[in-house]
Amino acid sequence: MDRETTWKPVTLSTAPLDQSWYEASARARLAGLLDADSFAEFIGPEQRMMSPHLPLFDLPRAFDDGMIVGRGRLAGRDVLAAAQEGRFMGGAFGEIHGAKLVGLLRAALVVKPAAVLILFDTGGVRLQEANAGETAIAEIMRAITQVRAAGIPVVGLIGGRAGCYGGGGLIAGTCARLVISEGGRLSVSGPEVIETNKGAEEFDSRDRALVWRTMGGKHRRLIGAADAFADDTIGAFREAALTAIPAAPAFDLPTLEAEQARLEARLERFGDARDATEIWGRLGINDPAAVPGLTTEAFDTLLAGLPEVSHDAR
Amino acid sequence: MTDWRQERTAREARLERARRHADGKVVPAARVVDLLEAILQPGDRVCLEGDNQKQADCLARGLSACDPARVHDLHMVQSGIVLPEHLDIFEQGIARRLDYSYSGPQGARIAKMLYGGQIELGAVHTYLELFARYFIDLTPNVALIAGVSADREGNLYTGPNTEDTPTVVEATAFKNGVVVAQVNEIVDRVPRVDIPGDRIDFVVEADKPFYVEPLFTRDPAAVTETQILMAMMAIKGIYAEYGIRRLNHGIGFGTAAIELLLPTYAERLGLKGKIATHWALNPHPSLIPAIESGWVSQIHCFGSEVGMDNYIRARPDVFFTGSDGSLRSNRAFCQTAGLYACDLFIGSTLQIDLQGHSSTVTTNRVAGFGGAPNMGSDPHGRRHPSDTWMKAGREAGGTGDPALRRGRKLVVQLVETFGDKLVPAFVERLDALELARKLNLELAPVMVYADDVTHIVTEEGIANLLLCRTLDEREQAIRGVAGYTEVGRGRDHAEVERLRARGVIRRPEDLGIEPLDADRSLLAARSIKDLVHWSGGLYEPPAKFRNW
Repeated sequence: MDRETTWKPVTLSTAPLDQSWYEASARARLAGLLDADSFAEFIGPEQRMMSPHLPLFDLPRAFDDGMIVGRGRLAGRDVLAAAQEGRFMGGAFGEIHGAKLVGLLRAALVVKPAAVLILFDTGGVRLQEANAGETAIAEIMRAITQVRAAGIPVVGLIGGRAGCYGGGGLIAGTCARLVISEGGRLSVSGPEVIETNKGAEEFDSRDRALVWRTMGGKHRRLIGAADAFADDTIGAFREAALTAIPAAPAFDLPTLEAEQARLEARLERFGDARDATEIWGRLGINDPAAVPGLTTEAFDTLLAGLPEVSHDAR
Repeated sequence: MTDWRQERTAREARLERARRHADGKVVPAARVVDLLEAILQPGDRVCLEGDNQKQADCLARGLSACDPARVHDLHMVQSGIVLPEHLDIFEQGIARRLDYSYSGPQGARIAKMLYGGQIELGAVHTYLELFARYFIDLTPNVALIAGVSADREGNLYTGPNTEDTPTVVEATAFKNGVVVAQVNEIVDRVPRVDIPGDRIDFVVEADKPFYVEPLFTRDPAAVTETQILMAMMAIKGIYAEYGIRRLNHGIGFGTAAIELLLPTYAERLGLKGKIATHWALNPHPSLIPAIESGWVSQIHCFGSEVGMDNYIRARPDVFFTGSDGSLRSNRAFCQTAGLYACDLFIGSTLQIDLQGHSSTVTTNRVAGFGGAPNMGSDPHGRRHPSDTWMKAGREAGGTGDPALRRGRKLVVQLVETFGDKLVPAFVERLDALELARKLNLELAPVMVYADDVTHIVTEEGIANLLLCRTLDEREQAIRGVAGYTEVGRGRDHAEVERLRARGVIRRPEDLGIEPLDADRSLLAARSIKDLVHWSGGLYEPPAKFRNW
């Protein structure tokens, strides 16, 4: 691979689709992702369905509990969508927050949308209502399998500040397709958690380059944990979602067996690697150190030359 | 008969003792302690080079490993007390007296040691004052400095972080002192000669490259909408109003926001080429978008910044660079430039009182001054006019013949009414006064005095103190932008409205600014990655600032 990289100019555009996904609020992401003015929210903030637990801890609540659910259209087709607001308690799952997503998924079984889109932005379960949060994670995963079994693709979009951690990482694992951007991070245990439990020698959470090459979008795409890599704009996520929906595999035994085989092979091949760059090298990338600096275009070109990062499983 | 060469003779004796540890001028890192013990004498004035960025850390470790029975009672005269070793030597008895300027990360420990009497304090200076005293009454006997490389003759390449080195060497080498340089490597030929070899007595090949702190890197991802609003007000209400072309920025997020709004908000206001063209500034990564958009004519730097070397090298029209292509910074010259050749200083602070005195000390930290008091002061010795300077002078008014009125430098404080952890920035009485009482300081550590500050910008508005005619007006102007702090709530509403009618206080709406427009999408770069893109991949941020 050529070390020379072309650097794209930073956009100063104010058009909604050019805005940064990472920077945008959950509502701005939904508004831009779906067809203009098509989003109708269920249980909106005006209904003030708030956490019953946070007042016990003297913590501020949000009228939507950091979860926005509703229906809208994507390129003219009806979809259901849920978005987490990472700026409220790190997008963490609590009782109401989780119940709204469970309800949306169960509704999908009835209204049969073209797809369900989940805009992840979460650090995991809310510690103040951990039992309710954990229960919600389990209910959501179960609901997703039911929706997928009914032939409805569930697509996860990851590119928010909080990343997709803890139970959010587990839920993402049950989605039919995942889209991720460079700033997006996908994992179960977060960097600080690993450092606290295993020490800074194992994982230095302040080494941000290490965090991103281990949990960030490019690495997740390269090892097949995510299926599509998007630029950090609302428009790019919209395009990627449009592509991901028809590509979603059937949720049947052959798919699950293919996924099992894929994961086993991955573990076998990379299980002893000490750093993401080792994995990239084994994938056949000539200059692994240059990967983090690649633009989306250059990264797409790189992906196109690596056939094994595409798969039909999940 | 008078012996006029006693210092010269003493210097020869020091060199004689030291030579057996050296091969010519070159000393291996393992012999540093021997070398220093041979050179130093009790009571010596010593400059151990270190400031807010680069550190002669190998020599600092060597000094703190010296035997206090042989090396003791040193008088340290240096810009920065930054490394733990800088204070360890006082605990060990190696050093006794201290004259310095800046102590950022060691601010709490230095306060404790001053309080405990472990350090005999001369004074806390600004950089320029300390440099000035190097040539008058604090001339070092020995200077321990840092460079990137040297040849065997001692010719020294300081690299982009030239900083204090030329000044320290000038004062020491030309007044019978001994200069020891640590370098990262000994080379056959240095890329450029920053310090000629005849001013360097010994060169130590350090065990590891000298440390540089990335002090001026502000991650655009952390810029808040409040800071953007304040930056919009500063641009429209001050930069545009006074046509500020020559300026210096502080190190905070507020000024970083201004830098990031130049190619967007300020561009839309049609200000390109009219403001912010000539700078005394470290190579702030957050200025890259403005440079790339053609806003900036030139920048002179105090020091360099980690990761900016290749970018600077590729922009010699903008930066001062050597024949080798790399940046040549110089703290003393840049401080002078900031003092005399800039029309505006804008920076942040921790506390402002009712008259506008400001300070960054809290009761248990002595962070020192660095350069801000010189940047943030009106130089009465200035004699060249500029439109900006003259306009500020007219606004300040005053008694006497208007034809004899001089201009004023603009000194702007950019502060959120509540700082970190919701501590109010506006106070009735500065903590600096309490600290001065506790430590028996003759002079309370005030960063910018009230008579130098001209504007205060908060999220509530701009107070133009030049237009205040009485102390009471001044107090109400400050209260009038102090938001919901105690000081702000103590305002006289009627008086504040009168001041607003006179334009002394201006709210966002008075400036035609809609606070809801203060959005992060206005920033020319919203992340460190964006800055890398703007630089065409030339800026190489340190790992701790990356999220890719």
